[in-house]
Amino acid sequence: MNPLARCLLWLLPLSVAACAAGVAIGSVTIAPAALLEVLLGGGEPLERTLLLELRLPRALSAFAVGGLLAVAGALMQVLLRNPLADPYVLGLSGGAATGALLAMLAGLGTTLVSGAAFAGALVSTVIVFGTAHGTGSWTPTRLLLTGVVVAAGWGALISFLLAVSPARELPGMLFWLMGDMANARSPWGPLAALTVAAAAALPFGRHLNLLARGPQQAAALGLPVRRMEWGVYLAAAMITAVAVTVAGSVGFVGLIVPHMLRLLIGFDQRVILPASALAGGTLLVLADTLARTVIAPEQLPVGVITAMLGVPIFLWLLHRSASS
Amino acid sequence: MKTTLCLILLLSLGVMGMGGEARAAIAVTDDEGRELRLEKPAERIVSLAPHLTENLFAVDAGERIKGATSFSDYPGAAADIPRIGGYSRIDIESILALEPDLVVAWASGNDRGQVERLIELGVKVYISEPRDFDGIASTLERLGKLSGRADQGAAAADALRQGAATLAERYADAAAVRVFYQVWEQPLMTVNDAHLINEAISICGGDNVFGHLDSLVPRIDRESVLEADPAVIVAGGMGEDRRDWVEAWRKWPELQAVRNDALLFVPPSLIQRHTARVLEGTRMLCQQLEDVRRRDENE
Repeated sequence: MNPLARCLLWLLPLSVAACAAGVAIGSVTIAPAALLEVLLGGGEPLERTLLLELRLPRALSAFAVGGLLAVAGALMQVLLRNPLADPYVLGLSGGAATGALLAMLAGLGTTLVSGAAFAGALVSTVIVFGTAHGTGSWTPTRLLLTGVVVAAGWGALISFLLAVSPARELPGMLFWLMGDMANARSPWGPLAALTVAAAAALPFGRHLNLLARGPQQAAALGLPVRRMEWGVYLAAAMITAVAVTVAGSVGFVGLIVPHMLRLLIGFDQRVILPASALAGGTLLVLADTLARTVIAPEQLPVGVITAMLGVPIFLWLLHRSASS
Repeated sequence: MKTTLCLILLLSLGVMGMGGEARAAIAVTDDEGRELRLEKPAERIVSLAPHLTENLFAVDAGERIKGATSFSDYPGAAADIPRIGGYSRIDIESILALEPDLVVAWASGNDRGQVERLIELGVKVYISEPRDFDGIASTLERLGKLSGRADQGAAAADALRQGAATLAERYADAAAVRVFYQVWEQPLMTVNDAHLINEAISICGGDNVFGHLDSLVPRIDRESVLEADPAVIVAGGMGEDRRDWVEAWRKWPELQAVRNDALLFVPPSLIQRHTARVLEGTRMLCQQLEDVRRRDENE
């Protein structure tokens, strides 16, 4: 059996199980029998609303966002050849956050906040792309430095906005900055983006494998390295922008999921990318289910949970791989 | 011909009007200007802010509240209401599970997206944003109407309006006292002249030294307080009887308020919450300001 198929064999059921848990578990307890009834098209109106209008779209959105972030993280790590790279390392979440916070400060509604976040992400991408391109040759190091500096600039703007915003806007802003699924609506957009991203990355898997070994080697084997690198950058940026628009800057998924998968299943990008989509989605759905229920009815931003779940799992994997 | 047309028009208008009345027994416009229609008085209410919980109790509709946000701590009976999350992030699931026929929301406290979501899900939502005494009074009236307690709502509103008018009259000719009101310590925050607390201060014949600032709850530095040199400093605090914040000003003995020993404390829930109890807090403030005036006269 090929490695991708083997990997999907355990990741697919896991994803489905996570989504099922995300739908079945909530602050209101719904009996399994009632659950089944709703799934078969019946059930009480209240239960139908809870399951089909609240939990299901939210679980699917979380799955899509988690998957997008993990794929973007995997791409960034290949592009920058840096294990610390995540989808936000080049300042994209900072641009999105600045846009979103400005919109919240102006008192705009949810849709416009999302739009402003997307616009901010695009602006950041263009700034980094434009300045890192500059004159002369560019290297991933230069891209990384440009991105990190731009991110620092956004960070300063975010602090400024937090300092001058009226107290009543602050909880919403903090939830956005930590990443929160509460305002996710229809999951279809993000899910489509995830499908497109995973499907589009798949044919380039072999090229990405070469790129991950280093630009010289890749160029020697006839790969258009520079074009490829810009392509990867833009793809990762767009993927991240979609994710951030839906859920704010959910941390940690994009950094840790690709690493976890590398520790578990090796370095083949043809397996890592689709596996990231599934594993990232699974992690975020589980994290969001916990965020909704762990101290219910109080609601936590999902970003808190991703870090709390991710850190111990990752440390354990790292320890295991170091000792073996 | 013309007359017939007019007659038909008038008749149909009349019929439409009557039809509307028959269909919706209660119609109320909320603070966002949305018209809310209920077939019958709400019996299962969910309150999304502590001050709304309190105002519902004030119009005798407390037993109709089936869910409330955390920190709904007044009156004591509010503690037994099932919780539906904190006001900045409510748990929509548990709200729906209560099957409310009315949700009262707080425009500036609740998350806008979540309130929009409730409305989309077909829940009747009254959005509240009282800014001043009159806003609180009319909130009491409207909450009364919505919960089938119109008389109690009107009575509570009258009591508040009357009480405020009486106080304002009593202190109309009192010597103006320059007041600094401290909302918070870290960062140091006060209120401008659009705030409810400013209204309480001016009813008592006080003059808010930071009333001219642009923001509703401005963040200021100690320097500007020293420069303004208020005759009186009033603070809330972390608790209902903690004077720590106001006592901290004794570090600056050159302040007029410190020299006069005019460091006053009003329990924050009596003056910072948009509820009927603001009258009690204002009375307390007026009395303390009057004491300061008397002391000044005797000196």
